[in-house]
Amino acid sequence: MTSWRKWAVVPAAALVLTACGNGTEEPTTTEDPAEDTAEPTTEDTEEPTDEEPAEPEPDEGAEEEGEEIARADADLVIWADDTRAPILEPLAEEFGEAEGISVAVQEVPFDQIRDLVSVQGPAGQGPDVFIGAHDWLGELAENGVVEPLDLGGAEGDYLEVATQAFSYDGTNYGLPYSIENIALVRNTELAPEAAETLEDMVEVGTSAVDAGDADLPVAWQQDPGDPFHNYWVVTGAGGYVFGQQDDGSYDAEDVGIDSEGGLRAAEIFGELAEQGVVNSDVTYDVMIDTFASGRAPFAVTGPWALPDFGDVDYVVEPLPSVDGNPAGPFVGVQGVMVSAFAENSLAATTFVLDYLGQEEVQLELYEAGGRPPALQSAFDAVSDDPDVAGFGAAGETGRPMPAIPEMGAVWTAWTDAYQNIFAGNDPEAAFEEAAEQIRNTIDAG
Amino acid sequence: MSQQQTAGRGASDASRPAGGPNGRRPSREPFADRLAARLGSNSLTGLFFKLVFLGVVNGLALYAVSTLLPLRAWTPLLVVVVATLALDAVYLSRRTLPLKFLIPGTIALLVFQVYPVLYTAYIGFTNYGTGNVLTQDQAVDRILAGATRVPEGATRFRSTPLVDDADGTLALLLTDPDGDVFLGTADGLESIDEGDVAGEGRDIVVADRFRPLTLGEAQQREDEVLDFAVPISDERAAEFDEGVNAEAISVQTFTTAAVAVTALELDEDTGNIVDTVEGVVYEPVDGVYTAEDGATLRPGFRTVVGFDNYEQVLTSPAIRGPFFRVFVWTFAFAMLSMLTTFVMGLALAMALNDPRIKGRRLTRSLLIIPYALPSFMTALIWRGLLNQSFGPVNRMFGLDVPWLSSQAYAGALPKFSILLVNLWLGFGYMFLINTGALQAIPSDLTEAAKVDGASGWQAFRNVTLPLLLVAVGPLLIASFAFNFNNFNVVFLLTGGGPPIGGTPTPAGHTDILISYSYRLAFQGGRGQDFGLAAAVSSIIFLLVAVFSYIGFKRTAVLEEIN
Repeated sequence: MTSWRKWAVVPAAALVLTACGNGTEEPTTTEDPAEDTAEPTTEDTEEPTDEEPAEPEPDEGAEEEGEEIARADADLVIWADDTRAPILEPLAEEFGEAEGISVAVQEVPFDQIRDLVSVQGPAGQGPDVFIGAHDWLGELAENGVVEPLDLGGAEGDYLEVATQAFSYDGTNYGLPYSIENIALVRNTELAPEAAETLEDMVEVGTSAVDAGDADLPVAWQQDPGDPFHNYWVVTGAGGYVFGQQDDGSYDAEDVGIDSEGGLRAAEIFGELAEQGVVNSDVTYDVMIDTFASGRAPFAVTGPWALPDFGDVDYVVEPLPSVDGNPAGPFVGVQGVMVSAFAENSLAATTFVLDYLGQEEVQLELYEAGGRPPALQSAFDAVSDDPDVAGFGAAGETGRPMPAIPEMGAVWTAWTDAYQNIFAGNDPEAAFEEAAEQIRNTIDAG
Repeated sequence: MSQQQTAGRGASDASRPAGGPNGRRPSREPFADRLAARLGSNSLTGLFFKLVFLGVVNGLALYAVSTLLPLRAWTPLLVVVVATLALDAVYLSRRTLPLKFLIPGTIALLVFQVYPVLYTAYIGFTNYGTGNVLTQDQAVDRILAGATRVPEGATRFRSTPLVDDADGTLALLLTDPDGDVFLGTADGLESIDEGDVAGEGRDIVVADRFRPLTLGEAQQREDEVLDFAVPISDERAAEFDEGVNAEAISVQTFTTAAVAVTALELDEDTGNIVDTVEGVVYEPVDGVYTAEDGATLRPGFRTVVGFDNYEQVLTSPAIRGPFFRVFVWTFAFAMLSMLTTFVMGLALAMALNDPRIKGRRLTRSLLIIPYALPSFMTALIWRGLLNQSFGPVNRMFGLDVPWLSSQAYAGALPKFSILLVNLWLGFGYMFLINTGALQAIPSDLTEAAKVDGASGWQAFRNVTLPLLLVAVGPLLIASFAFNFNNFNVVFLLTGGGPPIGGTPTPAGHTDILISYSYRLAFQGGRGQDFGLAAAVSSIIFLLVAVFSYIGFKRTAVLEEIN
């Protein structure tokens, strides 16, 4: 039966060859760089407004890396993550029935929406409407893939920080639905009194550790240095990352990390590191474990951590003042945007402006996501929830995270600076070097 | 490359039994055999399997075509069609016997190897990246669409698009912020009274002529609706635009309209974009419409920019600074990773090759586990294990070693840690291939050497090792090339850190070329720069190609010993 064998060999050989083709991807290396790095990009630069800032989700990223999501076959296609999709679905259906068009809500992992909108939108395979974080705007607007959205005078109905965040270069690009920022979470048993100042916090924390009641003075995520979770110290000390123009937009020419206030922040941070109040080795998991087991009087974290805090008695409060000044964290804003390549931009903008701006919708999104709503009336309606009120109060002094693409140059350089401080190097020199590196990187780009 | 070679050999072996002369057998089914022969097969069974195989291939191709067609992805479509037709032609013909064994591999080679390499090289010559993702036409569309702006202080209206069912004429029912109602047509704006609007809600009739357009209908005529503008006369203009020099009220969304100005126009002859109000001309320069004074229009578009990316690689202070030390460490990292895994894998393979050892099978299976786990998981777990304050390694031994963060001696300790983790990840593979290769070396050779008076070491050094290297040499080169670009381990374990310090742009002690270029291309000042990333990748590709070439030359020498 030679012929039988012969023909069995061919498909097998074909398979083997194909497999080899795939296998050699590893050694020869020069695959499409976009594919290779898609996952780390989102993880790193998007870290702060991502759902869970520094908790990497490797399995999700790796499995779905480079995966394309085909546009659903409908007049109006909406992309949302698994938390928001179920809420938008009935609304979209109602809208579709009322207007006589077909709608589809597609579930897309939150951290993939940004890249996919840029890649698939221009190819005609993107959504009409998608949810996202305001700090994607720099990239999306520069790429020309997001449609300006005229709130038509409704701007005043939203928290100021929310509309400021969604305005890029003087144009509004989204309808905000929630805000998120970090705050000071206090274990009421270990620290019965609110920490008004940084000194209070340090004192209560260190004495709890000295007394053996706690493992960490403050559960404060770093690993190996975290510009996002440390920014409040910088603003409290009078520093800033990029200067803000009168209309609130950020100026990439004005790097404020080595400004007088920035250097003061470096000094404070050097002291905190020396006292062991901040520790380079505290990961997200260590932060959660320590606070949830009642072994830290404070945690510096955001609403994403609350579900993991178990039955610890805690209150959410504004971050303590630094040098007597209120300290403001970065504020991330989530919202709904319309694709510039929407197949049906009339329906898309109508749906976003007339349906999603309603108070009930904002409240429903709040119920599912646990983040304070961006619509003032909805925000007020839920402010009897102490957690929301606490995070809201902490965010009042906050600044929208810069959405300009130049922010990409900040994270690594500033992380390195904190790492240098932890290693015992001169704090001010570390910040000066970071500022210089950021300027160089921006100039080189 | 090595896999391809072996696979190629396998294919030519397979061609031998197929090469037998046809038609000598007494034919019991003349027609069937003739049919089979005409379609390039020796027998009906062969024909059957071939048809099944081709059926599957063609089915998959049809599926691919049906998905690619609506995407208008013409190039992949063409590739699929041509490749499938080529397969069909080769397999259904009698005259192309050798090709039958070459063509599947050739297609796989083109699709999975040659195409990505060429595409990467091409991207390296473009400006693809944040701000330059659209085609030129798309970018012009976006610029012109964004040119219609509602100036500060201009009047915004609540608007309902209307239609006249008799002739399909469009109009707008406009309500200004004071509550005054107007009918806007292509001829102009007219005030109307409440009496002109009959009915309620969606069933209204305006001026006995127009009814509201539904969103579904508007969707059908989307361009028309969005471009609809109501011209306003000069005296009206003063009323609405507060000094804005506007000529029309234009549709903003389905429910709003506003006094808007359009300033930009495309000059069809020159391809420039002209600001008619300011009198500025924007010319396309390297994918961005740029005015003489340097002002630019957003967004830019993808275009070929020649050697710009390579120039940037060579002249940027970011690269000139730490590049050399990163390069040296990359080479050391790849070399040491390859050597340590090989030595450990070989030692274990030889130990477990000895029949005196009990439980060899179980031990062998256990040793493969680190290799079988996904490397990114293992890297993250090691990151936790080596955490200085909370990691089990330090806690268990009562140590306080900064495994991943020490900056002393040019980051010697993190470098050691990363090699250790890579050894853990890689020795299983080396163990596997060495076990296989060792079993293929006849034991009588070493016995003969011992009879001749060689010591165990001499026998290993002069007999076993050269024979072994003939078999695993190419795999060692592959391992070197793989580790040269082992982004996962570096990125997940140390992120390239700890920082070197004193560099013009961020760089870390454990950064290898690929993780360093990731910093350059994706954590730079302008978002993501795929063009630069592709240029650096192409350079790395050339480096790896040169090293591999030299390596293969040297294994060829070994083969001659054989």
